[in-house]
Amino acid sequence: MNYSMVKRLILKDWYLQRWPILFSLLGGALALAIVAKGGQAGFTLGIILLVTVLVTIGAMLAMNLTVLERKEQTLAFVMSLPVSYREYTAAKILGVLLIFLVPWLAFMAGSIALIWFAPEIRGLIPFIVIMGTEILANTCMIAAVGLISESQGWTITVLMIGNLALNAIGYAVAHIPSIGNGMFRPHLHWSPTATGLLATEVAIICLILAGTFFFQSRKNDFL
Amino acid sequence: MNDPAVSFQGVAKRYPHFNLDNINLDLPIGSIMGFIGANGAGKSTTIRILMGLVHQDRGSVRVLGHAMPEQQVAAKQDIGFVSEDMRLYGAATLGWHIEFLRQIFPRWDQPYAETLLRRFELKSEQKIKGLSHGQRVKAALLLALARRPRLLVLDEPTTGLDPVARHEVLGELMAVLADEERTILFSSHNTLDVEQISDQITFIDRGRIIDSNDKEMFLDRWRRLRLQLPPNAALPQLPGIVDIGGSGRLPVLTTNRFDPAMVSACNDMGATVQAVDTMTLEEIFVANVHSRRTQTAYEMERQEVTV
Amino acid sequence: MFPISVYTQYIDMHSDIVISQSDSRPMYLQIMEQIRQRVAVGEWAPGQEIPSIRQLAVALRVSVITVKRAYLELEREGVILTQQGKGSIVAHDPGLGQRLYDRDLKQHLEKVAQLGALLGLAPEELALRLQEATDKFWAERIVKENV
Repeated sequence: MNYSMVKRLILKDWYLQRWPILFSLLGGALALAIVAKGGQAGFTLGIILLVTVLVTIGAMLAMNLTVLERKEQTLAFVMSLPVSYREYTAAKILGVLLIFLVPWLAFMAGSIALIWFAPEIRGLIPFIVIMGTEILANTCMIAAVGLISESQGWTITVLMIGNLALNAIGYAVAHIPSIGNGMFRPHLHWSPTATGLLATEVAIICLILAGTFFFQSRKNDFL
Repeated sequence: MNDPAVSFQGVAKRYPHFNLDNINLDLPIGSIMGFIGANGAGKSTTIRILMGLVHQDRGSVRVLGHAMPEQQVAAKQDIGFVSEDMRLYGAATLGWHIEFLRQIFPRWDQPYAETLLRRFELKSEQKIKGLSHGQRVKAALLLALARRPRLLVLDEPTTGLDPVARHEVLGELMAVLADEERTILFSSHNTLDVEQISDQITFIDRGRIIDSNDKEMFLDRWRRLRLQLPPNAALPQLPGIVDIGGSGRLPVLTTNRFDPAMVSACNDMGATVQAVDTMTLEEIFVANVHSRRTQTAYEMERQEVTV
Repeated sequence: MFPISVYTQYIDMHSDIVISQSDSRPMYLQIMEQIRQRVAVGEWAPGQEIPSIRQLAVALRVSVITVKRAYLELEREGVILTQQGKGSIVAHDPGLGQRLYDRDLKQHLEKVAQLGALLGLAPEELALRLQEATDKFWAERIVKENV
C-alpha cells in the first residue's frame, strides 16, 4: 500500500471540502453560543442545531467523497493516476473518517467543555460521548454504502435510515437507567454500561471499515 | 526486438447487453495507433481494460511490460490517460491540478507544462468549471502530456474541438512522437485525424476487431473500380470484392485487395475501367463494417431458412 | 505558423512543405512530389542534410509510416540517400533536377492522354487543346514580365 499516495488523495479531498468544513465549524460555534446563552429554550435550540450541523456535515462528507466522485466523473481522473483500487478505497473511507474527525472533535470538545463549566448538567457527558460516537459510526456507514453500492439512491436511503436510527438509539440510550437517570445532575457518572456501549460502537466502526475493504476487493470493474 | 508497448491476446469481456470478444492487438513502441469504431462498438471498453480499470474475463493484457490489471499501478506511472467522459475537479483551478500531479509524477516537466499553457491559451488561475468544453479537453491533455508519459491513451481526444484547437492538439500529439520511445493509442470518430497521423489503424465493430493494419496498407489495398460493361456481359471475377454498386452496365466494385494488374485483367475480361478511385479511411471503414454486417445478416438468414 | 520550437535548425527547410488535405492523392505521393520539386529547383542542394523521417512527420503532422514510405520511394528513385543512424541527405547527382522534371512531364502527358480518351477526344483535338494551353501560358508570362 502506497501510503504517500493515499495521503495525497486524502489531502486532495480535504482541500476540496474545506469550505463546507469551515461553515460547519462556524455553525457549531453558533450552536454552542446559543446553548451557553442559557435557559431551557437556548439549551434545546442549541442542542438541536449542534446535532443537525454535525449530522449534516457527516453525511455531506460521506456522500461527496464517495458517490459524488463517480457522478461528477472525476473517478476516471483519479484512477488514471498510479493508484490501486485498494489504495483508492483506503483514501476514501479513511478520508471520510479523518476529515470528519476535525469538526467531530471540535464539536465534542466544545460541548464537553461547555458542560464542564455549567456544572449542573455534568451528568450529560456520557450521553453526549455515546451519541457523538453514534454519529461517527453513522457517517462511516453512509460512506461505506456510498463506496460499495456506487449508487446515490442506495446511499441516500441508508442516510435516512441512519438518521431515524439515531433518533431511536438516542431515545433508547436516554432511557437506560445508569445513563439517563443522572443526565441533568451535576455528578458525572461513567457506568460500565456506558463503556460497553462505547466499545460496541467502536467495534462497529472497525467492522464497517473492514467490511468496506472486503467488499471493494471483490469488485472487478472500477468504472 | 522490444516488447510491444501494448499487447492484447484473446481478450474477452461479457456484459449483459454487450460482448467484447477475441480482441488481439499489438502496438509497437514509438508508433501511433488509431482506433475507429461506431458508438458502442467497444472502443471505450477496450481502452478501460488497457488501463486496468475493467478486468477482462479472458485473455492477457500487457502494457509497457506490465500485466494488467494486476500491475496497473506500475504501468500507470508511465501512462497519460484522457477520456471523453473524464472530468477534472470543477471547483479547483488548473494550477491546482498541475501542482497536484507535479507531486505525483517524478518526471513532471514544469517548463513544458507552461509552454502548453501558452500554446493552448489556458490560464492556470482559471477554475475548471469556468472553462469551455474545448478548453477542458486541452486542460486534460496538458495534464497528461506534461507528465512525459511513455504511453498516451486517448479516448476521443479531438471530439468537440474547434478546427484550430484540433490542429494544435494534433501538433502536440505528433510532437510527443518525436521521441521514438513514446507511443500513442487513440480512439476517434474523426477519421480524418486518424488517417492523417496514425501509423496503424484498428477497426472495431460490435465488440470485435474487424481489421487491423498499417495505414498505408489500408489506403493501398482498398479501391473503387468504376467499370463500363458491354451489353449482356457478366461482372468480371476479381479478388476481394466486398461491395457491388452502380448499375448493370456501369458497375462500381469495391475491393480490399487491389493490385494494379487488376486493371488490365478487367480490360482483358471486356470491361473498360473508367476510373480507379482511392478511398478515404472513412469510406474504407464504412464499407468494411457494411460488408461484414450484411454477411452476418445473410448467414443468419440462411440459417433460418435451413432450420 | 508551425509551433515547432524543438528543431529550429530545420524550420526554414521543412516548414515550406505544405500538405493539402483536399488533394485526393495519397499523402506520401504529395510529400514525394514536394521534395522532388525542391531538389529540382535547387532549393535543397545535392549532399544537403534533410529532416529525418520523424522530424518531418512531426513538422507536417503526418504519420511516421507515411513519411517513411515517401523516403523509401525517393531513395529508390535516387533522389535521396538514407544513411543508417545518420539521417537522410539529398543524393549527389547533377542533372537530377532535369530528370525529375522530365519524369513529371511524362506522367502528366500520360494523364492527359487518359483524360482525352475519357472525354472521347480524337488525338488531333487533344493536340489542339495542348497548343491552346501552351499559347496561353506564354502569353500570360510575357504580360507579367512587361508589367
